[in-house]
Amino acid sequence: MTQDDAGGGAPALRAERLGRRYGHLWGLRDCTLELPAGAIAALVGPNGAGKTTLLEMIIGLIEPTEGEVSVFGVTSRAQVAARLARVGYVAQDHPLYRDFSVADMFRLGRALNPSWDQGLAQARMDALGIPLKRKVKTLSGGQRAQVSLTVALAKRAPLLVLDEPVSSLDPVARLEFMREVMASVVGTGLTVIIASHVVSELERLCDWLIVLTGGRVQIAGPADDLLAAHRLLTVPRATPDAELPGLPVHRTDSDRHSTVLVRADRARLAAMRRPEWLADPVGFEQLVMAYLQRRPETAAADDDSLAVARPGPAATEVTR
Amino acid sequence: MIWVSWRQHRSQAIACLGVLAALTVYAILLGTSMRTAFSHDHLAACVARSQGSSCPDAVQAFTDEFGSAVNIAFWASLLIAPGLLGVLIGAPLIASELEYGTWRLAWSQTVPRIRWLAVKLALVTGGLVVLGAAMTAVITWYRAPMDQLTGHFQHNIYDFEGLVLTAYILCAFGFAVLAGLLVRRSIPAMIVAFIPWLVIRLVVEFLLRPHFLAPVTLRQSCAGCRGAFVGNGISAIPPATGHIGDWVFSGAQQGNQLVTYYQPADRFWTFQFIEAGLFVALTAAALGATIWLLHRRPA
Repeated sequence: MTQDDAGGGAPALRAERLGRRYGHLWGLRDCTLELPAGAIAALVGPNGAGKTTLLEMIIGLIEPTEGEVSVFGVTSRAQVAARLARVGYVAQDHPLYRDFSVADMFRLGRALNPSWDQGLAQARMDALGIPLKRKVKTLSGGQRAQVSLTVALAKRAPLLVLDEPVSSLDPVARLEFMREVMASVVGTGLTVIIASHVVSELERLCDWLIVLTGGRVQIAGPADDLLAAHRLLTVPRATPDAELPGLPVHRTDSDRHSTVLVRADRARLAAMRRPEWLADPVGFEQLVMAYLQRRPETAAADDDSLAVARPGPAATEVTR
Repeated sequence: MIWVSWRQHRSQAIACLGVLAALTVYAILLGTSMRTAFSHDHLAACVARSQGSSCPDAVQAFTDEFGSAVNIAFWASLLIAPGLLGVLIGAPLIASELEYGTWRLAWSQTVPRIRWLAVKLALVTGGLVVLGAAMTAVITWYRAPMDQLTGHFQHNIYDFEGLVLTAYILCAFGFAVLAGLLVRRSIPAMIVAFIPWLVIRLVVEFLLRPHFLAPVTLRQSCAGCRGAFVGNGISAIPPATGHIGDWVFSGAQQGNQLVTYYQPADRFWTFQFIEAGLFVALTAAALGATIWLLHRRPA
């Protein structure tokens, strides 16, 4: 799928068995991913799942302990500048220099980025009604987030990485921020990765989904494919997991029935279907929640038909 | 990048100029009255004629009047001033980026962080060299009359003239930049950097400096040594060697000879180069380690 979308070029992001250890704890392990150019990916996981670790390795702020990551084919540590030039980054909590004015922030952006687009930066501030002379510390949280986003966008990098961009914002500012992201991204060919533990904001925007828990990738793939590959089955409670037509991702038992979110392709589902079962399509949020509730140690995927990161042979010995 | 460095260190630069201005005002006031008294007492002629030994009363009066102002104001309070200056500017350079999370912003731009750091360090170091040189010039100018009586080897003179003042500032700065990267917080980094700076500074001053070069031995026949007393140290005017500025360590009577060990006054610049070289080397080591660490082990 990658080659098609990227027109034969390198994928926007490729991670191969990427891992990062802090002391003897792994912040992220065995992360294998490929994101085609133009994808808008939701990176979902609870706090501490390794989202920031993954993003910081993508940008090059931290180096992997093992494996490697490339952005538009640029991998090497020696090509730091080339990699940095390809990623626009809005870090968590939108760090800006507090005693700088907005104009100063833009001047910093221009000084540190050869590809800086000052026109874009100014136009965005005009549209949002944020005066360039205002000091950063006098801006509201929502405005600060917008300035951060603008600094990242005006860098004109083909990959935009947003780390928990709305978690510190109030509901109105969240809405406005996501609207801005959507307006500046859709149709531009920009590849975007948005990390969040808030799922609802991402559904309309994202066409790719990566779920990360406990430092491991649970699923990754185009959202539509993933949704099509899962069904919510309502089965008699006595039905054992082994009789289900695929991997039971999440199971809720009630008095008589069990609701199971299974991963199974259509053909298999049809073949194994029993008349007393109810099979419903799955929603984005439902799917994400099911994977978030899985224990991180459980093997990620075992189905070849999905573009899913699968644990390699080493993974099993690591989990204990 | 130059603009970025300037913008981030602008307020520090202005504060430093303020300190320099205050020092200059103080120096002009005290220096002018010192010059007036010095020429009024014809001390220059006396020094030229007899190294001060023919006009002990005038020398005494002059040092009584100005010695305390010079000594207390500078030796006591300014011993730590270069260190404070260095750590105040050095510690936040990296630590504040780590404290406020702005490192994620600064180091994710196209300019790689090593270049970001190198340019910053170069510019701030340059600024500190200019500041140190200016402070040295001001202090040297205003102290000039006193120096004619005492030479340049006394602690409170040696430490503020020549090259070492600048080197002390740079060393504290270098330590603080490194400490900022390791400790990741500005205030603790200042303390962590200041303590070793002060220890090294005192060890060099009192243990190493007297031995930078082997002292010269002077043997005088005791007829000329006016009894057994030898001006010990560097406060006697003129010292036991009879030449202002010589740094006399000790003297002892051996038979009918007086043996004096001392560092001659004309070694001042050699000593300055040795000591400044030492502190600049420490600075370079600390800054080199910072660059290496930032390159190797990302924050």
